[in-house]
Amino acid sequence: MTPGMIHIPTLETERLTLRAPAARDLDPFAAFFASPENTQYLGGSKTKPETWRYLGEVIGHWAMRGFGRWIVCRKGSDTPVGLVGLHEPLDWPETEVGWYIWDGKGEGFATEAGAAARAWAYTTLGLTTLVSIITPGNSASIRVAEKMGATRAPDWDHPRHGALLVYRHPGPGGRI
Amino acid sequence: MKITVDIPTLESERLILRAYDPARDFDRLAAFMATDKSRFFLGPLDRYGAWRLAATFVGHWVQRGFGLFAIEEKETGDFSGMAGPWAPETWPEPELAWFLTPDKEGRGYGTEAALCARSYIYDQLGWDNVASAIEPDNAASIKLAERMGARADYEHPLPKGGVVVYYRHPGPEAL
Repeated sequence: MTPGMIHIPTLETERLTLRAPAARDLDPFAAFFASPENTQYLGGSKTKPETWRYLGEVIGHWAMRGFGRWIVCRKGSDTPVGLVGLHEPLDWPETEVGWYIWDGKGEGFATEAGAAARAWAYTTLGLTTLVSIITPGNSASIRVAEKMGATRAPDWDHPRHGALLVYRHPGPGGRI
Repeated sequence: MKITVDIPTLESERLILRAYDPARDFDRLAAFMATDKSRFFLGPLDRYGAWRLAATFVGHWVQRGFGLFAIEEKETGDFSGMAGPWAPETWPEPELAWFLTPDKEGRGYGTEAALCARSYIYDQLGWDNVASAIEPDNAASIKLAERMGARADYEHPLPKGGVVVYYRHPGPEAL
């Protein structure tokens, strides 16, 4: 990584575009994080200034790691429907593929975008394994992980949030 | 398609102001954020929090088109603090912010870096004025702002309680 340079590629799936997060994404992002319901498994709601900073963290993660999360839009639209991709802040046990979908729930967007992010991690970054870390009770997210072929691994004790479920994904070529 | 953020490099007599470099700067940033002095600068934070904060510094460049520079001491290459224009959401106006790591204080580096960043704000960003938001008990920063010709302009309440005072700098025409 060259300091001061961030490269975020754009990925396309059948129905979705995964693109770089941008300043213009703040309002939909903030609306999602303002809701206690949406964020009950994500560490709780955030104010708009907190969300602005978090959006900066999401963007900056790309500079820190060379990978990160994308804003997900329906193809042909610039309106964000979710945030999906790779996540590994300093306190994370290993690289995670994660998904937040706030528009179009139940349409399989998390699975479709998550699979694209996972494929990119394996083919472009050369990673050989990924996990998804899920708060107990988040059954929608567990279903996505299972649909992607991930299986339960030992829990991870998060220093603040306690025991979290770890799902390990099949590796490149479908190896478990 | 990809996005690119190009953070410029500035230079003063003894300092280089450049993009934050995780590989070279993180340990010293994290050490600073663990000190009580960082309470004027979003701290104190543990290493994990410092890592996330550093990510927000870089993200800010993408969100705003400007942001904080890492201050590098030419003589040693040491990360010595940060300075630059800073505009988190809901602040009343963008500000010129700075901090120095405690081991680099007392040499005029803070003033040197802040002057360099102020020139960047006026000459490169084209702003016609800028203020620095400083908490009333941050005596070192108030002294630095006054040395740069800035004067207390107005107070703004802080979410954590208390106020921050905006010190208005002389405009480009007065320099």
